[in-house]
Amino acid sequence: MQTIRARPAGPAPRAVRDPLVAGLVVLCLVAAAALLAAPPTPYLVNALGQLAAFAILAVSLDLVWGYLGILSLGHGLFFAIGGYVCAMHLLAHGASVTGVLPDFVQFMGWKTLPTYWAGLDLAAYAFVLALALAGLVAFVFGLASFRSRVNGVYFSIISQALVYVAMLLMYRNDTGLGGNNGMTGFPLLFGWPMGSPRVGTGLAVAALLTLAAVLAGTRLLVGGAVGRRMLACRDDEIRLRTLGYSTTRLKLGIWCLSAMIAALAGILYVPQVGIINPRVLAPDLSIEIAVWVAVGGLGRLGGAVIGAVLVNGLKFWLSAAMPEAWPFILSGLVLLVVLVLPNGLLDLAALRPRPIWLRRGR
Amino acid sequence: MPAFAAPLDRAILAGALCGDGAAQVGAAEGLVRAGGDLPADDLAYAGRLLGALVERRLACLPDGALLLAGQNAPEGQDAVTDARRPAAEARAPVLGLRQRAAVETARGVVALLTEGTPAARAAGLAVLERRITIVPAAVLDRARDAESDAALKGTIASLAEAAALSSPDPVRRRAAIAAVAASPSGAAAARLDALKSDPAYRADPAFRVALDAGLAQVRRAVAIGDGLAIVYNGLSFASILFMAAAGLAIIFGLMGVINLAQGEFIMLGAYTTYGVQEAFRRFVPGLLDLYLVAAVPVAFLAVALVGIGVEALVLRHLYRRPLMSLLATWAVSLFLVNLVRVTVGTQNLQFSMPAYVSGGVPVYADFVMTWNRLFAIGFAVATLFLTLLILRRTPLGLDIRAVTQNRDMAACLGLPTRRIDRLAFGLGSGLAGLAGVALCPIYSVNPGMGSGFIVDSFMVVVLGGVGSLIGTLVAAVAVGGANVLIEPISGAVAAKVIVLVGIILFLQRRPKGLFAVRRRR
Repeated sequence: MQTIRARPAGPAPRAVRDPLVAGLVVLCLVAAAALLAAPPTPYLVNALGQLAAFAILAVSLDLVWGYLGILSLGHGLFFAIGGYVCAMHLLAHGASVTGVLPDFVQFMGWKTLPTYWAGLDLAAYAFVLALALAGLVAFVFGLASFRSRVNGVYFSIISQALVYVAMLLMYRNDTGLGGNNGMTGFPLLFGWPMGSPRVGTGLAVAALLTLAAVLAGTRLLVGGAVGRRMLACRDDEIRLRTLGYSTTRLKLGIWCLSAMIAALAGILYVPQVGIINPRVLAPDLSIEIAVWVAVGGLGRLGGAVIGAVLVNGLKFWLSAAMPEAWPFILSGLVLLVVLVLPNGLLDLAALRPRPIWLRRGR
Repeated sequence: MPAFAAPLDRAILAGALCGDGAAQVGAAEGLVRAGGDLPADDLAYAGRLLGALVERRLACLPDGALLLAGQNAPEGQDAVTDARRPAAEARAPVLGLRQRAAVETARGVVALLTEGTPAARAAGLAVLERRITIVPAAVLDRARDAESDAALKGTIASLAEAAALSSPDPVRRRAAIAAVAASPSGAAAARLDALKSDPAYRADPAFRVALDAGLAQVRRAVAIGDGLAIVYNGLSFASILFMAAAGLAIIFGLMGVINLAQGEFIMLGAYTTYGVQEAFRRFVPGLLDLYLVAAVPVAFLAVALVGIGVEALVLRHLYRRPLMSLLATWAVSLFLVNLVRVTVGTQNLQFSMPAYVSGGVPVYADFVMTWNRLFAIGFAVATLFLTLLILRRTPLGLDIRAVTQNRDMAACLGLPTRRIDRLAFGLGSGLAGLAGVALCPIYSVNPGMGSGFIVDSFMVVVLGGVGSLIGTLVAAVAVGGANVLIEPISGAVAAKVIVLVGIILFLQRRPKGLFAVRRRR
């Protein structure tokens, strides 16, 4: 198919005209500065850092779901790829400095790390590998799906099957990736002892800065010509294709970008919680990512951040305060958002009381 | 060495038991050899003498032997004439280790052949098991033929077989190999395989030929039996998949909604079955065995009502937003799982299994056709025909097919499409309830059971094509068969990976699945 590259006519891109995103970026920067200046309790620092990582994950899903109409129920896979490679780097780094092999390697009775761990003690290599791996997996899966025009609900459940199979694979003990216990006990980060408050603060600041950068970057992307093409593809893919745009290439590119952002979130998440195991690949967790986005506001980058922070903040609080009630609250929240606030909590901000049956849904 | 042929010469036996160690061993071994032919009263007599010898109640005089009532009793009965005689000068022989072993073996033969209770006979058999090579086939054959206890009879038969396989007589061994090969099983193959390390395998060409032939025969039969078992398991897995996916396929074909709560509807069906069982137990305990049958309509209706409720409360608002309906049904599934978890508990439910779903019939080699899986297969076939009947022969089915093909045109012609949606959703949910009933005898039933195979059933729907029941059937058989076929070769996880990759590759060629219903837009 021949692609006609034409800049769509119309007013100039509203690249930076999203006050919500701008405000969130500023908030992230301020929070990062505040953490550096006067760090609160380590628990709060850690919670902030985790929320930032989840927000990045939510932005990555909103990019494909909200702007391309592709709902991935398998984004946990890319998050896990980032997390696993990061954990491998931390363990390899620790082993090369202290000389003590990780627990699970000793548990399997091996004398050395598996060969494909070679070079992972170099942070830069591990970072590139994580992003490249996530991008590659996304590329292969996306190419197979988009080329044969698998979309909509079909795509969602196939991506769910993908993450499910990955989970089964990771539960095996002979993969050299920790099996069902996963990987934990990271001793060092860039030579610094893992448990120290300064490392915790540093990680949280890094997560907040990355979130700010991701928000700004994706906002520039969706505010420009590519963003318009994405929206056009979401609303009527056949028409866009008929107009001569290669929708496959567009979807594939954004899909891979989204996967790499999700991997980035995984990289930032794992050192903060200190463990990775196959539970992050459970299909339920991947659906929860979609819930964050839906709760905050589908198709608004700021909404994804708000949803991720809100739902996870609630989860942190309630799963400790009343663990029995949390699933009921979560399911109630989802039904409420889906039925009453089709565009998420951002609908509340619009404050235009119209009966639901008059609204055209998406 | 005295020959102990029937009838038993009681004086010679008594004399030999009073003799030196060699004579005692000779007498005991003679009894073991002749045990198969001796009449019962002779055996019982020999048993009394041997028992007395072991318990040191056999006193020897120069002209005979006395049976004492207890150790060191002043007088006893003559072993041959039964006359009472004083035991003052008699000596009670003490058994050496070698003699004791021989005597115990002889007592074992006597006990196996003459004792009244199965437990006592089993004790005798246990003694013989230790020295099985010297026990003649005639003893074990006689014991087996006379045995009334089925379990003990089986034990004796397998012991006889083992004894024959290791017998020093080459003709008997070859016959035993042929006999083992005639009823093949994995255990039989292992027994024959163990014989390969026997010295006779190298020394005796006839034995080698017989063993190799027998082993080949057993292996072939076991392979066929295993193949049958794989096909059978594949079919039963496919039936479960079909029942889980059929409702999903109808709903998806009609409304474009993937019901992520379908697994939980299956779970509800299983819990309804449990409720029916408990009701039967309380009110009509005599008919408890019929609860599975009674649960069929109850589970269908109950889960169909739940489905209609979900449709009316939630999904009705989401037909234009199928991706949101995914999230909504996920929320419903989360709600249902936790509701059951809180109200009933997380433990596995205990079902009483009626006779028609427990056990099975051995069909060939190791392949046992188990009733519970046959129940699932039969259930799935019945469900298939009933659903086809509904879809093809009833007004509702006609309406469903019409709306599936072209919703707008059907609405223009005056069909109440919303009501049809609701009924179809009820039908699809009810089918999930039926799957729950069929699962009860096979899987463990707990709140989380629905998530186990839900991904598989989604794959079945995707592979089968939208809204085609036949496609769902073919896809279920394909996915179920592939899983079960690949599993023994490379493990369950690899099987799932291969099936998923296969489906993705297949969708490259036919993105709409195997049997896509042609829609008119």
